[in-house]
Amino acid sequence: MNINKYPQIRPGKKLSKRVYVAIMLWTVGKAIQVAAKVDKEVKEELARLPNNFTLRMMVAPEKAFPLFFYAKTLPAFVVDKGLLFYGIQMLLHKDKEGKIKYLGADPKGKKVDLNIVFKNIEAAWLVLSFQESTATAYMHDRFVVEGDLVHSLTFVRVLDIVEVFLLPKIIAKLAVKRYPKWSEMSPLRKFVKRVVIYIRAYTF
Amino acid sequence: MLLPGFYDFCCRVRIVSGQNALEKIPAMLKKMKAHTPLIVTDKGVVGAGLVDVVRAAVAGELKLSNVYDNVPVDSDYKIVDEAAKIYRQKNCDSIIAIGGGSVIDTAKGANIVASLGGDTLLDYEGFSAVKRKLNPLVVIPTTAGTGSEMTLVAVIADPDRKIKMLFVSYFVLPDLAVLDPRMTKTLPDFLTASTAMDAMTHACEAYYCLEKNPLSDSFALRAIRIVSENLLKVIKNPADMEGRLALANASTMAGASFSNSMVGLVHNLGHTIGAICHVPHGTAMSILLPYGLEYNMHRCGEVIGEILLPLAGSEVYAKTKKEERPGKVVEFIRKMNNYLHEATGGRHPRYLKEIVDKNGAQVVTESLLPAIAEATMQDGARMANPEEFLPPDAMLVLEHAWEGKPLDLGKVNKGGKKIKY
Repeated sequence: MNINKYPQIRPGKKLSKRVYVAIMLWTVGKAIQVAAKVDKEVKEELARLPNNFTLRMMVAPEKAFPLFFYAKTLPAFVVDKGLLFYGIQMLLHKDKEGKIKYLGADPKGKKVDLNIVFKNIEAAWLVLSFQESTATAYMHDRFVVEGDLVHSLTFVRVLDIVEVFLLPKIIAKLAVKRYPKWSEMSPLRKFVKRVVIYIRAYTF
Repeated sequence: MLLPGFYDFCCRVRIVSGQNALEKIPAMLKKMKAHTPLIVTDKGVVGAGLVDVVRAAVAGELKLSNVYDNVPVDSDYKIVDEAAKIYRQKNCDSIIAIGGGSVIDTAKGANIVASLGGDTLLDYEGFSAVKRKLNPLVVIPTTAGTGSEMTLVAVIADPDRKIKMLFVSYFVLPDLAVLDPRMTKTLPDFLTASTAMDAMTHACEAYYCLEKNPLSDSFALRAIRIVSENLLKVIKNPADMEGRLALANASTMAGASFSNSMVGLVHNLGHTIGAICHVPHGTAMSILLPYGLEYNMHRCGEVIGEILLPLAGSEVYAKTKKEERPGKVVEFIRKMNNYLHEATGGRHPRYLKEIVDKNGAQVVTESLLPAIAEATMQDGARMANPEEFLPPDAMLVLEHAWEGKPLDLGKVNKGGKKIKY
């Protein structure tokens, strides 16, 4: 066998999974920003984080999103400068007044206080397609936490609440450890917040 | 469960166990190219003459002149930084920790700062922040319960934030654990009781929490059996050296088990009560263990029921119907606690309201319960608990544990399916 003619094996790009994960991270980021404004429980949870705090949730490795060639075909919101140059990620910032803001996917020049890194695209896919709950993913070492562990617990709790708002019960049950009973979260609150979060996340 | 979809097990601590295990230390330190160890311990251990026991055992081969004995019951990062400073001043190249959980965790923390540089431990907080091999660390436990000699975590308090910080890395694991019954011989009965129940809690939680795996299970089941068979014997006869060595081994096994499968709400509440009220860890564990089992019973009752076999023996296990086994486990542990309470003249508390300080004042007052419940959200152990554990749930458990009533299972929030490990 001529070794020079042996085809070079290239890693799969898994474009559809990358696009799905990027959209999910964008949705989650925007949803947390809105939920922090409209829901008391999310607001209280996020109050545990210090002010002037930046959180990043990303898929390792950085600069891995092969979207350059597809950029023109994708919706505008996916083609974030950060996504192209720094890979799939989303940044959330709590400012000096305690307001939560989604910062997109460009980490350049930002000091990240808490970095939650999915080890690879498959790990992110399992979690964000709700095949694995956040707790199971944590147990299965799907992501690494860099920064204060206490703050990551707060984020996981916020993520759980937002998932209950965003997703129908049948899917949300897969994502959270315990789907809240009516006594814990009234259906009225859940449905009103769901509508408000979706509208504001996709319009503002 | 045959095999979980994924698991991760690492246990690379060398264990030396036996009646003359201490004598092996000089040769083993030499193999690790260490010659000038710093002893990290506390005043109680020094006062009990245990450092002298170690000195006598290694006499002629190793000089143990560098001693840091300022570790308090609940160690914080300032103590760790101070110990690391002394390590550097005395030009030490290794650490020997002689003591219980607080001492061992302090030694782990001091080893991080001393090996990696920097002035404070706070720089290394979180998961995997320690990324390279540290200097040699030898651990000689003087209580049979903490299991800290086998864990990849150091739990150190931050008095300013009133929380316990976790420093998690495989490099935090000690290099050598020495189990010698001479080191637990002088342990008072109530401490023997609470530390052994701490080991029991480690093993039970490791067995039913989310990260359980076949390897951690085997360690956990054996540890439960050894504690169950030996604890009451040692309380009756404190000079029972075989029993003491067995308990020390059980503690180490339980440590290896929970280090690889994590712990749940019992530790979540225990850490928080420890941080806010300064309740000794073992005491909080023995009180809360039955509640942890009860709270999670609807999610993993079958697994909890399996604990009955090592806990009560094959006859009781076979006689008890499958669906009654989880309840029987809780009943058995409550009975153990009651027995230990009587055998120690009331010094082994059964409920939170029974915990008193040296002056007889209540340590956990009812008014503190809401603050404790709220603070449970800041402890990492809540992640591995099978059932979601939020402040209202914590309040429910705390109210029952404070009063000493069995948990009202009808009031437990249930919203999930049975756990698939």
